[in-house]
Amino acid sequence: MGTKTNIRIRRFSLIQRLFHVLLIISFMTQGCTGVARMYIGSPWGKWLASVFGGYANATQIHKYMGLFMICLFLAHILYLCFKIDWRNFPRCLFSPDSLVPQPQDIFESTHHVFWFFGLIKAPRFDRWTYWEKFDYWGVFWGIIVLGLTGLMLTFPLLVTRILPGWTLNVALWVHRIEAILAMGHVFVIHFFVGHLRSHNFPMDRTMFEGSADLDATIHEKPFWIARMAHEGKLESLLVPQASLLKRTVFYVFGYSAIAVGLFLLVGGIINSPSITW
Amino acid sequence: MTSRRQTSNKMRPFVSGFLATTGLFVSLALSVTVLTPTVRAQDRLSSPVYQYRGHEMSTGYYEHWETRPGPGVPLAGGPIFQAGPTLYTTGDWLDRRTYMADSHEQLRFYQRIKCIKCHPQQTRGLHIARMGITCRQCHGPDPIAGINHYYSPMNPLRRHSHVCSKCHEGANASYATFVVHEPNPTLADTWKTFPMLFVAFWMMMALAAGTFLVFIPHAAIWGIREFIAKKRGHQTDGHKDKH
Repeated sequence: MGTKTNIRIRRFSLIQRLFHVLLIISFMTQGCTGVARMYIGSPWGKWLASVFGGYANATQIHKYMGLFMICLFLAHILYLCFKIDWRNFPRCLFSPDSLVPQPQDIFESTHHVFWFFGLIKAPRFDRWTYWEKFDYWGVFWGIIVLGLTGLMLTFPLLVTRILPGWTLNVALWVHRIEAILAMGHVFVIHFFVGHLRSHNFPMDRTMFEGSADLDATIHEKPFWIARMAHEGKLESLLVPQASLLKRTVFYVFGYSAIAVGLFLLVGGIINSPSITW
Repeated sequence: MTSRRQTSNKMRPFVSGFLATTGLFVSLALSVTVLTPTVRAQDRLSSPVYQYRGHEMSTGYYEHWETRPGPGVPLAGGPIFQAGPTLYTTGDWLDRRTYMADSHEQLRFYQRIKCIKCHPQQTRGLHIARMGITCRQCHGPDPIAGINHYYSPMNPLRRHSHVCSKCHEGANASYATFVVHEPNPTLADTWKTFPMLFVAFWMMMALAAGTFLVFIPHAAIWGIREFIAKKRGHQTDGHKDKH
C-alpha cells in the first residue's frame, strides 16, 4: 500500500476517466480550431489555422470533432441510464452519491464563501462539492447549446427546410458566445480550482488516476470518508498511487492541456482587436 | 290593325338586333371579367416549364405575370414607377430605389465612387470579412436592380436560386433569408432591425458575464484564502491545507 501519504481513495471508474480524457481532447481541438476560425483575420489566427492545414481544414476538423462530441455526450447519457439505480428512482437522484444539485449545495456554497472571509469554519463536504456539480452540469449545458447551434451551422440547408435562414445568424452568435463562455470557464476557473489552488497544486490528478489523495480527501470531504467508513466500504476503496511512469504521463498530459488553454486565452485576449465577426 | 301589325313586324329585326348586340357585349364583358383568371390559370397550367409552385419556388423562375405588375394595375403606379430626373439618395427615395430596375439611376458621379461610400453597413458580414466576396459577385454588374424589383436576382422570390446557389448548392427560399449584412448586435438599433439577434446576443452576454463575475472573484478569493492558510502552516478552521 505504500506510505500513508501515498494511500489514495478510488473516486472515478475507468470509463468515467475515459470520458473525461476524450472530453479534454475533443474540447481542446474544438477550442483551437474554433479560435483559429474566429481569429483568421490576425497573423496569430492564421498560424493557428495552419497547424490544422489552413482555414478550410480547421473548419472541417471543427465540424467532425463537434459531431464526435455530440456522440460522446449521447454515449454518456446512455452510460447514465445504466448507472442509475432504477429500483430506487427517483430517490437515488437525491442521495449524497448523486450529482444532481440539491438544497444542501446552496447551503454549502454560502458556507464556503463565509469561510473565504474567515467568518466560520470550513465546510465539510460529502462526495460531490457544489463546484464539481457546477462543472459537471456546465458541460451538459454547453454541449446542448453548442451542439444544437453547431448542428444548425453544419447542416444549414437541412435546417432551413424547417427554420428560416435568419435563425442561422442567431445560432452563430449563440455558438460564439457560448464557446467563449465555455473556454473562459475551463481555462480560468476550472484549471485554477482543479489544479492550481494551494490544495491541489501542482495538479489534481484524480480524474486521470481515478483516485484521490486520502489525506486531502479527509480534509476536504470528511463526510464522504465518514459515510464510507460507516458503511464499511472505506477499506475496499483504498488503493496505492500509480507508478512513476503513469504519474509522469498524467502530469505531461494535464499540463499540456493547461498550456494549450492558457495559450488560447492569452493569445485570444491579445489578438481580440483582429477578430472578424 | 293591319298597319300596326306591319309596323311591329318592321321593328322586330331592329329589336332582335339590339338585344343580340347587347347580349353579345354583356357576354364579352362577363367573359373578360369572369373568365380572364381562368384563362390565365389555364395558360399557367399549359406552360411546358413552370407548372408547379414548388418548382417555381425552388428554381426561382416565375411566369412574368406572377411577378411583374400589369400596366393597368392602379396600385403599382405612383412615384415608385415614375422615377424622374430629380431623384435624391435620402429619405423615402432610398426605399423607393429598391424597386427600380436601375437602383442607381441618375446618381451624380455614380461611376466614380465605390459601393461602400454609400453603403458602409454592407461591409459587415462573414461573406466579406472571411471569404473576401465582392459586391459585384452577388449584386451583379450595372445596372444593379433594386432588391425589390421584380426582375432582380436579389428579389426574395429568386435570391436563393440566382445568388445563394452559386456557392450554396441546393439553397432554398428560406435559406436565403440568412442576413448576409447582419447588423451589429451590440447596437440599440438592432432591436428594431433584427430583434431576435439582439435578444439572443444580450441574453448570452448576460449569462457569460454573470458566470465570470461570480466565479472569477469566487476562485480568486478562494485561492488567496487557501494560500494564506497554507503559509500559516496550520490546520485552519478544521480544514488542513494540504495537497
